[in-house]
Amino acid sequence: MMFCSAAPCAVALAAGFPALPLLAAAPFTTPVGVAHYLVVGAILFTTGVVCMALKRNALGVLMGIELVLNGANVNFVAFSSSYLRGEGAASLGLDGQAIALFVILLAAAEAAVALAITLNFYNNHATVDVDQADDLKG
Amino acid sequence: MSGASIGLLAAFAPPLAAINWHSVLFFLFAVVACACAVAVVLADNVVRMAFYLVLSLGATAGLFFLAGAEFVGAMQLMIYVGGTLVLLVFGVMLTAQAPFVAIKTSSSDRVLAGLVGAALLVVLLQSAFRVDAWRRPAVADPGPPTATPLGMALLGIRVDEPAAGSPAAGGSVAVVRNGYLLPFEIVSVHLLVVLVGAAYLARAKRRRTPRAIDVAASSTGPETAAREARRSSTSALVSGGRP
Amino acid sequence: MDPVTQLPMLLGLAWLAPLVSFVAILFFGPRMGPHGRNAAWVATAAIATSLVLSLTAFGVWVGNHPVSAPVHGNHADAGHGDAAHGDAGHGSPAHGGDAHGPDAHGAAGHAGGAHADDGHAAGHAAAGHAAAGHAAAGHAAAGHAAAGHGPIAYSGDWYTLYHGGSLTLSIGWYIDALTVLMFVVVTLIATCIHVYASGYMHDELHDVTDHEVHLSGGGHLHRPGRFPRFFQALSLFCFSMLGIVIAGNLAMIFIFWELVGICSWFLIGFYYERKSASTAANKAFIVNRVGDFGMLIGLMALWGALGTLHFADSALPMAGGSRPGLFSLVRPASAGHALTVPDGMVKFAAADEVATIARQYADHPADAAQEVDAKVEGWRNRGFGRWLLFVAGVGIFCGCVGKSAQFPLFVWLPDAMEGPTPVSALVHSATMVAAGVYLVGRFYPVLTPDVLLVIAVVGAITLFIAATIALVANDIKRVLAYSTVSQLGYMMLALGVGGWSAGLFHLVTHAFFKSLLFLCSGSVIHACHTNDMRKMGGLARVMPWTAGTMLVGCLAIIGAGVPFVIGLSGYYSKDAILAQALSYSRANPAWSILFFAVAGGAFLTAFYMFRLWFMTFAGEPRDHHIADHAHESPDVMVRPLIVLAVFAVVAGWTLPGGFGLANLLEQARPAGTAVTSTGDYLFGPLTLPAEHESHEGSVHVIATLTAFVTALAGVLLAAAMYLWKTISPAAVATMFRPAYTFLANRWYFDELYNAIFVVPAHGLAAVASGIDRELIDPFIHGLAGLAKGIAGVDAWIDKYVVDGIVNATAEATWNAGLELKKLQTGRLRQYVMFIVVGTVAIFVLASMLFRAALAG
Repeated sequence: MMFCSAAPCAVALAAGFPALPLLAAAPFTTPVGVAHYLVVGAILFTTGVVCMALKRNALGVLMGIELVLNGANVNFVAFSSSYLRGEGAASLGLDGQAIALFVILLAAAEAAVALAITLNFYNNHATVDVDQADDLKG
Repeated sequence: MSGASIGLLAAFAPPLAAINWHSVLFFLFAVVACACAVAVVLADNVVRMAFYLVLSLGATAGLFFLAGAEFVGAMQLMIYVGGTLVLLVFGVMLTAQAPFVAIKTSSSDRVLAGLVGAALLVVLLQSAFRVDAWRRPAVADPGPPTATPLGMALLGIRVDEPAAGSPAAGGSVAVVRNGYLLPFEIVSVHLLVVLVGAAYLARAKRRRTPRAIDVAASSTGPETAAREARRSSTSALVSGGRP
Repeated sequence: MDPVTQLPMLLGLAWLAPLVSFVAILFFGPRMGPHGRNAAWVATAAIATSLVLSLTAFGVWVGNHPVSAPVHGNHADAGHGDAAHGDAGHGSPAHGGDAHGPDAHGAAGHAGGAHADDGHAAGHAAAGHAAAGHAAAGHAAAGHAAAGHGPIAYSGDWYTLYHGGSLTLSIGWYIDALTVLMFVVVTLIATCIHVYASGYMHDELHDVTDHEVHLSGGGHLHRPGRFPRFFQALSLFCFSMLGIVIAGNLAMIFIFWELVGICSWFLIGFYYERKSASTAANKAFIVNRVGDFGMLIGLMALWGALGTLHFADSALPMAGGSRPGLFSLVRPASAGHALTVPDGMVKFAAADEVATIARQYADHPADAAQEVDAKVEGWRNRGFGRWLLFVAGVGIFCGCVGKSAQFPLFVWLPDAMEGPTPVSALVHSATMVAAGVYLVGRFYPVLTPDVLLVIAVVGAITLFIAATIALVANDIKRVLAYSTVSQLGYMMLALGVGGWSAGLFHLVTHAFFKSLLFLCSGSVIHACHTNDMRKMGGLARVMPWTAGTMLVGCLAIIGAGVPFVIGLSGYYSKDAILAQALSYSRANPAWSILFFAVAGGAFLTAFYMFRLWFMTFAGEPRDHHIADHAHESPDVMVRPLIVLAVFAVVAGWTLPGGFGLANLLEQARPAGTAVTSTGDYLFGPLTLPAEHESHEGSVHVIATLTAFVTALAGVLLAAAMYLWKTISPAAVATMFRPAYTFLANRWYFDELYNAIFVVPAHGLAAVASGIDRELIDPFIHGLAGLAKGIAGVDAWIDKYVVDGIVNATAEATWNAGLELKKLQTGRLRQYVMFIVVGTVAIFVLASMLFRAALAG
């Protein structure tokens, strides 16, 4: 996970045990960059996708969708942050945050509709198991 | 003992001053977010899933704050966690089945999903670490608060960066950069439409066969209720369950 | 009252009236009254109209050309005019056959004749009238009156069917006294018979059970009645017969000749379900056709050599002038109407010589034509063209042999009695069979003495054979049929020995009394329901009218009368024939047998006719059942009998003033035939005595006495055998058993013809059928089988190969679809998986493919 500091850490670890406290403290001393945020975003996104693919409960699928959208939002915010940028690197600025805002709004709307569909499905089939929703099976 | 602890503390003292609290908080929030996200996947009980999701999204809001997007973070908490997730929890309640009904995925599906997820993660991480500009650490200056500029931008006036040729930037041309007024309005209408649509879709209909949960509630014991629920749900399935 | 336009119009309408009736009954017959009863009235009305028109035409004719006795002095004048020929003829039998020789005489004769003409009876006064050369608008009418030498005749064409080269086929008329007379006779007899038939055929007004038809399952045929059809056929027949009478050219005669044959076929085979009737109809038509073959040869000879088939001259509208007809060609006025081989025939016969000349004058063909014309006379004298003229004459006569049932083509007439009796009366006694005699009479000018001799001999043979067969016949209609054949032989003989007027006179009188006899026999058959005379007898008591009129008919046919005073119609005509035959045999002693044939025939005729009468009406009934049921016929059948009986009596009389049949016929006598002529053509010198010479002198006396004696002898013998029963017919038959059998089997002619013609034809048909069945059919079947086999193979290919490919394609598509269908599981999670996998794949692919681009 921490590839960026894995190498020096490994070296430090190999160098000597007395350096361990320093090493252990490495994550807490190095300032965080965009890449860290991207990793978090990637993890959230992947987890959301896996949740969508795995869950048989329709609401579980919806939660996966939320996770996916969140992962995307994290990425947007990371790119828009002027704070996280290194020297001389451009950032999205306010646009990124605006986009993230809109994503949140639309996620809310989409969640409402999806829930409505799920409720409809539940009313008709007395179950929220998406595997039962295979009427379109060819 | 106290002497040893004081001595240990003295050993760790010099690095303490060098602790980047931003990074510490970042890792804290990141771990919570990721762990709770994974917990969502791994949990079987849908209510627990909802809870873990709430935690995850809350941690994400923290990450937003740390990145300097306070407004977005606040919105995340308010809209996402306080609205959407509450809605989701409502849905969970409305579609509650008898607690003994467990919907489990087969292990083959899980393995396959895991593999695919891993592949996707590898791809994403690869691309995350390719760009050098993203790997440099942050500068110290967090930047000005973003709430006001966002609000102004939503009304159509951009104040964060002057346009290239505008007098504020040293140019002579009066140029106004676009705001987000139009998307704002569109989203408003969109929300209205969604409201109406969702209300219609999820309207209550007269049911031909009672819901499994009602049957289960009206009959005697929990086991017979479960059996009844299973039977009626299957029969409802067979008959299509259309009212 | 211009006869030139009136006569063709009147007779044309009279000719067409039965056609209108035919068409009307053809289309509306069954609807004319209940069961078509009124069809009889329609037909009768039509033929009665024809009768009225014919009588009107007769009146017009007589008004314009009054009939009076030819003053016998005139014949001297005429003889004057023709004396040149006559002297030349009489004086030198070795005339060399050139009637053409005394040309100068002919010219003088002409002039003399012209003057003598003025002194002629008014019968020829109109000669000047007609000679003025009328040319009515639209019609080419030439009134012939060749200065006392020829008949008064009107001719013209109504419609030209075809005009190509020298052949003109047209519908036209040739009207002379004979035509008008025949029209009256035919329409009068036809009217009487139509009335008679409307009563006789009443059986056909309802369903008929035909007892003579035996069905395969036993029982008799039950069929609906065919009343209208009878009158339809009868009307068509009348139309056709009148067409023959009025015809102005041989082509038209041939057309209506065949048409009459077909009508006869229809009528004989009226009861066509009877095998005997349908066979008889076929026999009649086929035998007639045999004769018509000869007629065609004659027609071809005439047309090929002469280029025309018209009797009289016809005007050429384009070139002006007129094109000579057959009469003018064969008896040219320039030769005094003596029989001459025409130029066309001479040139035709001398074709080799003509070709030689043409080669000589190849450079200037006009000179060639001149040379030929100069030489024609010489060729004629050497005899070129005589055979052609002979063939033409005999050919036409062949048609008459068939139609008039002469030897050897007479076998059809007795069988024709299968038709209903009115048909026998009208068609097979009075009219159709008379058409042959009529044609010989019409064609008389073209017939050479040799042809006439042939005609006479054939007539004599026929006369004899038929009379002998009639002696032993037991069917009443058969007796009359053979009697008809015999009488027709009489007529032919009369014409052959130069008795033009006698023959045609007998034709007219025979028409009356023979139709009367047939109608009476029909009445008897109607009453007795049988034709067999052996079952009849004593019917005079129950059927007085029939018996009386039949007696009149019998007396007429035997020529009964008071010699030298008065007689029935047959008396006069028979007398004329006997006289002319005697005259001929005196002029040509080698052929005296002809006179004895006539005399013998008269005896036999008297015998069998009175045998018939005595067996039917006199004595005691032989079959009481029949006699009890017999009754007189209804009025509608008896009245025509009376009318015909009256005519049978008076037809021969000449009124004071000269109006009579004989004198009327004289008006139509062909040019050049009024005088004795001698010709030496092919069978040696033959003298044709002039007819008027037989009317006086010893010839007349001997002839009259012969007629009387033979008739009396015949009647007495018949009375002895059948009335007074002094001689037993059975004993006579036993005594002359072989002769009797021979006669009873009709001289075995039917068997002979069967062996010679019918059996070989059947054999040939069987061979042809066998070839068709064994050779051609298997071949066709084989081809069909082959086609079927190929079709089977094709079908297999189509079903398994072609269809297989198509079906396989469809199956493959279907299966592919089925397999692809499995992609769509409807499962949401799977779709999500696909999305993710797809995204990853795209990323990987893109990064691999666009590594270079991404690196930047």
